[in-house]
Amino acid sequence: MSDLVIETTGLRKVFTSLRGERRVAVQGLDLAVPAGGVHGFLGPNGSGKTTTIRMLLGLARPTSGTMRLFGEPVPDHLPQVIGRVGAVVESPKFSPNFSGRRNLQLLAAVIGAPAERVEEAIETVKLGGRENDRYKAYSLGMKQRLAIAATLLKQPDLLILDEPTNGLDPAGIREIRETIRDLGASGVTVLLSSHILAEVQQVCTSATIIGNGRLLASGTVDELLEVGTSYRVKVPDPAAATALLVAAGFAPATIDGELHVDAETPGEITRVLGEAGVWLTELAPLRADLESYFLQLTEGEQLGGDGHPGTSGEAVA
Amino acid sequence: MKRLLQVELTRLLCRRAVLVILALAVVLPLVIGVATTLNSRPPSDDALAEAEAQAAADAAQPYVQRDLRRCLNKPENYLGRPLPDDIQASCEDSILPRAEWYAYWNPLDLAAEREEGSGLAIVILLAILMMLAGTTFAGHDWASGSVSNQLLFEPRRARVWGAKGLVVSVLAGAFTFVVVSLYWLALGLVARSRDIPIGDGLLLDCLQSGWRGAGVAAAAALAGYGLTMFFRSTVAALGVLLAVSVAGGIVLAVIGIDSVWNPGLNIGAIILDGTTYWAEVPCGDDLGGGGMEICSVEKTLSLGRALAFLGPVLAVALAASVATFQKRDVP
Repeated sequence: MSDLVIETTGLRKVFTSLRGERRVAVQGLDLAVPAGGVHGFLGPNGSGKTTTIRMLLGLARPTSGTMRLFGEPVPDHLPQVIGRVGAVVESPKFSPNFSGRRNLQLLAAVIGAPAERVEEAIETVKLGGRENDRYKAYSLGMKQRLAIAATLLKQPDLLILDEPTNGLDPAGIREIRETIRDLGASGVTVLLSSHILAEVQQVCTSATIIGNGRLLASGTVDELLEVGTSYRVKVPDPAAATALLVAAGFAPATIDGELHVDAETPGEITRVLGEAGVWLTELAPLRADLESYFLQLTEGEQLGGDGHPGTSGEAVA
Repeated sequence: MKRLLQVELTRLLCRRAVLVILALAVVLPLVIGVATTLNSRPPSDDALAEAEAQAAADAAQPYVQRDLRRCLNKPENYLGRPLPDDIQASCEDSILPRAEWYAYWNPLDLAAEREEGSGLAIVILLAILMMLAGTTFAGHDWASGSVSNQLLFEPRRARVWGAKGLVVSVLAGAFTFVVVSLYWLALGLVARSRDIPIGDGLLLDCLQSGWRGAGVAAAAALAGYGLTMFFRSTVAALGVLLAVSVAGGIVLAVIGIDSVWNPGLNIGAIILDGTTYWAEVPCGDDLGGGGMEICSVEKTLSLGRALAFLGPVLAVALAASVATFQKRDVP
């Protein structure tokens, strides 16, 4: 049995308008999310993140491709696994005239969760004191917290959060991120969809980057940051090292008196210099931030809405 | 499924719009019942005395006395032939004002109330209100976007659709059943207190008519709900229902289709256990037209025929609603 919590193969979604225009939101996406930790799902607006999540949760039907949650094919076996999945998709959606508590109680009743779990969830997301107010009177941050509380009713093994910090003030963002980190640390697998790169870098252990509905990169955050990074090279004779590296096809640059070399892996640098008898005194990755890498990957990608028909993807009339 | 039904029932009964509709479904029949009772009261002794005085005063008017004299002089002009034995009494009876002309009252008649009076009106009113309840219940879910949240907890869409539909239709049917039963029982008590003969099984006929009306109300609620789930909009569903109920009959009449296909007539046939309608047919020899002219003839639309027409229509609409809910993406 696979240890992947989420797995999609060749996932594709084409939206067709009433006028017959077709737009591809997701095109052949292969997504693999391992069990445990917080996995970032990154992409610019309109890249197909939300559409992918909606397909995984059975809210949208894929045009083609396969999807699995906990190894079970979905949507066919979604009823068997939905009890292990908590999700917030886009903005929270509850009955506006019911209180936060009443909304949670009704959802808890659907899955047969005990009444205490509602109180626990309210406490976990720090909604205490306002839980009896009508939902429509909540601030956006409170709505987001209520949505997360709803996901906790199931005591999920997988939590899918789509842009959970959208519209929150800095304090709210920090609280939500702490909650996500805590959940990830407690053994829950969290898929965090976001276009806020700093958020993913701060919270996630691994990430998948998509653009135009396609997989661009995937791996641990450290791996992603190291791909294609520059290295700071210290050697006794920088001029000789520079000549050797140029001869080997590298493009070293001297910046602030330091030798910077772009390379796929650090081994390529040590091999070239070592074979010529030039011994390194220091070789350190110049850690790129995820933003630089993300922009590099998604350069030229079409920007639009967030995966809805007519707002994203490549037109395939 | 039981949990889902309980949740949907709670959600339905917690909707303020639904509560307002249910309150109207109690208040309006109550008002109609009170009005029917008051309007069918026998006149009081004072009113009767006043009417008698008015009749006597009018009888003394010159123009009335002139008419009376003319009647006595040429009774055939007023009474026709053959003339009655007592011409004086007949002319006075025909010409002179009577007290009941001034104290007119329409005595309570349960059969008339059932067939074309307040009983039929109440059933139709309740059916419309229940349809609105079904429509607003589903429409609110779509407008608030909470359908997607519900599906994250119960992804079996047919179950979700079924639970909502069952709760809406059962509540509408049960509520209407209680209201119309109380209405007819109350009118029955009023009739009994006035010594009006109810007739053999008349009250039971009225109750049965009301119970069939409860079935119509349940179906109307289900239809409103189903169409709203199909269109995902209260306004669109109500627009279609209004078009069918109002424009449908007009269109049928304009293009000359037999009234037997009129939805309103069929609903009436279900409530009344069959009804009659006028149809235009070529006049046959027996109608005196030799087949060349159009004659209006009275036809009967039976309960079975009405059910056989409306049942499949409702079934098709609901099947389309379930199928689209299962297949279409949910926002």
